Amino acid sequence: LHDYSAVPRGRFLGEFEQLVLLAVAHLGDEGYGVTIRREIEARTGHEVAVGPLYATLERLEAKGWVTSRAGESTPVRGGRARRHYRLEPAGVRVLAEARRTHERMWKGLVLGRPAR
Amino acid sequence: MTLRGGPRPPRFAAWLLARTVPERDREALLGDMTEEFAVRAAVSPHAARAWYRRQVAGSLVANVARWRPSPRAFRRKGDSMGRSLAGDLRFAARTLGRNRWFAAAVVGTLALGIGASTVVFSLVDGMVLNPFPYPQPDRLVTIGSEFPKLGRELSFFENLSPAEFRDLARDTRSLRDVVAWDMGHRQVASSGAPEQVFTAFWWGDAFATLGLPPALGRGFSAAEVHRGERVAVISHRLWQTRFAGDAGLLGRPLHVNGVPFTLVGVMPPRVLVYDTDLWIPMPVSPEGFPRGQRQFQVLARLAPEVSLAEAQAELGALASRTEAAHRQALPEYEGWRLRAVTWTEANVRTLRPAATVLAGAVAFVLLLACANVATLLLARSSSRRREIAVRVALGASRKRLLRQLLVESLALALLGGMAGTALALAGVDGMAAALSELRWLPGEPAVDARMLLFALCASLAAGVLFGLAPALHAVRDQVQGALRVEGSASTASVGRLRLQRTFVGLEVALATVLLCAAGLLFHSFLRLQRVDRGFDSRGVLTFRLTLPRERYDAAAVQAFFRQLVARLAAHPAVSAAAAGSQFPPMAFSRTQLRVEGTAAAGADELPSAFSTLVSEGYFRTLGIPLLRGREFAADDTLGRRAVAILSESAARRFFGGVDAVGRRFRMGGDGEGPWYEVVGVAASAANRGLDRAPEPEVYTSFAQDAGGWNQLFVLARTAGDPRALVPDVRAIVRALDPEQSVYAVQTVEQAFAALALPRRIATGLVGGFATFALALALSGIYSVVAFAAAARTREIGVRMAMGAGASEVRGLVVRQALPPVLAGIVAGLAGALAAARPLQALLFEVRGSDPVTLGAVSALFACTALLAAYGPARRASRLDPVRALRAE
Repeated sequence: LHDYSAVPRGRFLGEFEQLVLLAVAHLGDEGYGVTIRREIEARTGHEVAVGPLYATLERLEAKGWVTSRAGESTPVRGGRARRHYRLEPAGVRVLAEARRTHERMWKGLVLGRPAR
Repeated sequence: MTLRGGPRPPRFAAWLLARTVPERDREALLGDMTEEFAVRAAVSPHAARAWYRRQVAGSLVANVARWRPSPRAFRRKGDSMGRSLAGDLRFAARTLGRNRWFAAAVVGTLALGIGASTVVFSLVDGMVLNPFPYPQPDRLVTIGSEFPKLGRELSFFENLSPAEFRDLARDTRSLRDVVAWDMGHRQVASSGAPEQVFTAFWWGDAFATLGLPPALGRGFSAAEVHRGERVAVISHRLWQTRFAGDAGLLGRPLHVNGVPFTLVGVMPPRVLVYDTDLWIPMPVSPEGFPRGQRQFQVLARLAPEVSLAEAQAELGALASRTEAAHRQALPEYEGWRLRAVTWTEANVRTLRPAATVLAGAVAFVLLLACANVATLLLARSSSRRREIAVRVALGASRKRLLRQLLVESLALALLGGMAGTALALAGVDGMAAALSELRWLPGEPAVDARMLLFALCASLAAGVLFGLAPALHAVRDQVQGALRVEGSASTASVGRLRLQRTFVGLEVALATVLLCAAGLLFHSFLRLQRVDRGFDSRGVLTFRLTLPRERYDAAAVQAFFRQLVARLAAHPAVSAAAAGSQFPPMAFSRTQLRVEGTAAAGADELPSAFSTLVSEGYFRTLGIPLLRGREFAADDTLGRRAVAILSESAARRFFGGVDAVGRRFRMGGDGEGPWYEVVGVAASAANRGLDRAPEPEVYTSFAQDAGGWNQLFVLARTAGDPRALVPDVRAIVRALDPEQSVYAVQTVEQAFAALALPRRIATGLVGGFATFALALALSGIYSVVAFAAAARTREIGVRMAMGAGASEVRGLVVRQALPPVLAGIVAGLAGALAAARPLQALLFEVRGSDPVTLGAVSALFACTALLAAYGPARRASRLDPVRALRAE
């Protein structure tokens, strides 16, 4: 019905997209499905499901922000190859832009202590 | 390392994931899952499977949303067909998007129906129908015994003596591989600190009887058992958690209570008998025990070609022979019976009533969901008549229209199916987690793929059938007179209204049955809450300790527990502490009594009672009131006169109306042993749980126990939360002996709650189903009344123009709902009476046909039904007659 890769997702980077991009950035050459998920889970404390992760990675790749290459296959993976992801310069740019946007939005803002 | 047959991802979830993952990510994603599952399973196979199911449930929607219809699939029947099907799909998506609430109602109803039925049937199959992984479970039997003379019903535990076991093994032809077994606690260490492990002791080759060899290494043979060899087999769980899955341990020594054993095997995952982690030969030959001392269980296989009934007949003959031979010496043999029962049945019979009720309730829920989907689709079809008329007028073919409506219903049903599948996966997971606390339960729920498939098919059929039926109607209708002005009471809408009413009646009937069941269960629940426990069960922490006989003789055991209780009592948060061999509601140990001045035989029933060893302060700690006489005192020690305290029911049963204090009795069936003098009578505590009357109980002083009873529960009454005391308890025990560890830590309240759990699950689920059913039935009533009112708009306008008042109009509309609701309630009450029998086993002091509950439930239901009908009626009564007459 919908070709999600072709649908523009608005001007701003989605929250989950941002988390995935940041995780890929942290991992350098070590980024693949398992490590990306663990990275996000360890830093956010929330469990991440594989399905949405791969859907997001596909989108990020279609936009040229990450690239993937086939990795090695090991017996512990049932002989299935890994797919490694790497952050591309376009991805670096979009992350930097997202951060600047956030900082501009926060600038000069003082919120009360959140109620507990 | 992984083991052959080691932990695997849950089968159904893995299958589902492989089917739904988009092709481009299949290899990477499935590889990731396999890799991480292996890592997690090494820590805990159970948690790993739960994780896997969560992952699949969380991924379904994202995976399916990424499917792209492959152009080739559509091109098979020519280009235009493919394009128009894609168009249908797009159109369906748009229509459903515009009617979001309708789509959400259908999808939600289907999801709940599919999810609930799959969860419940998975539960019933995994826990009750097929809980054990042994091959040919219907041939694996345990031998139960009944002693009417002792008032003992059929029991399967600690129910046979060594001599009786020998008779069974030697003198029956219908049983083979007969083994006796017992359970207890042992300390296990290979290196490092020892650990308390629940252990099974086997007399015979259990691996042959169960039909499962160890997954690693070997079992032990009957000959090894008889020779008294020190060999051990451990569970897969213990191997993983304690020994890190090291296969090199086989053949190495394993210290059991400090004695070296040789580890010869590791059982496959999940093959546990009552949560035992260590299997060793029975340490002493059963031959040494007297015939009347029953402390074993027996397992056997039916011999080939022998039926359970034939085995039963042979056991009957054996019991008669034994009775004739030994009745003189052991009067409890009079009328005793032996019964072969499948191992599965013996273990699940307490769960069966709850399982039956749940399975029945959930079948109703599935039926109700289908009926509600039908009502929703019928109601919707009427609002689309004009759209269809326009399309027919513009030249749409009948086939084309049907296909489009079919695609729409299918899309709805599929969405509902997907949501239902996700719900089922998550639900089974939640259930497995809730039940994993109850470690004595044999089975483990796993998603029942057959049931899921059945529920999916049922909902798909309901969606398609009722999505299409109105479509056929509409098409036939429109072909007759396309674009005809809609009549206020055209035949088609009358027919549809009748069908809708039938469905509403069905929904009301199903909901009535469920509401009655929920009402009865809730009524029992309230009754159970009011049962007097006979003591103050709140705020008491309990834990158990087993001191190894190898290091502790009788005197040392006494000293250890005396010190432990004293130190605990000195803790600032503890107001009283004591020790006992059992505590309510979990009494299990019984004895026969000989009361002074009464004949041993002759009476209808020989006196028997729970016998409990208790330390000084036991009654004060539990808050059991002392009715007469005194508590045990510090000078009731070994060598002094043996004293006992009776529960009120024991005093009444054995000494009639007279004061029991000062009277004497002996323990055991042989009439030997010391005389005990009754020094006090205590209130009867609920020693068998809340739903069964307390059994007579005899308390004797632990300080006077010469037998060296080495495993006791310790009880501590605290002011605040008892669980907060646990770290201090462990520290106190460590200070006394660093090698001992406490286990079975729980509060007395938790023990009561665990006993009530099957009933609570049944009550909660049936209550949830009834609420769901009520909501569906009310929405059905609402929609049928609203539809009827809309169909009669013009008539209502005429009536109001002629002077009918608002209340008359309201009455007219509400009356539309009365026949199906009343008929439904009557049919539902009949159904509830029919369901009373299976429900009865779960009820407490409430009859399944309890008129108060049934009457209250149906009256309440009728009132809410009228309220649901009142909404549309009010709207109709506020019509502007002029506008109503001009309507359409």
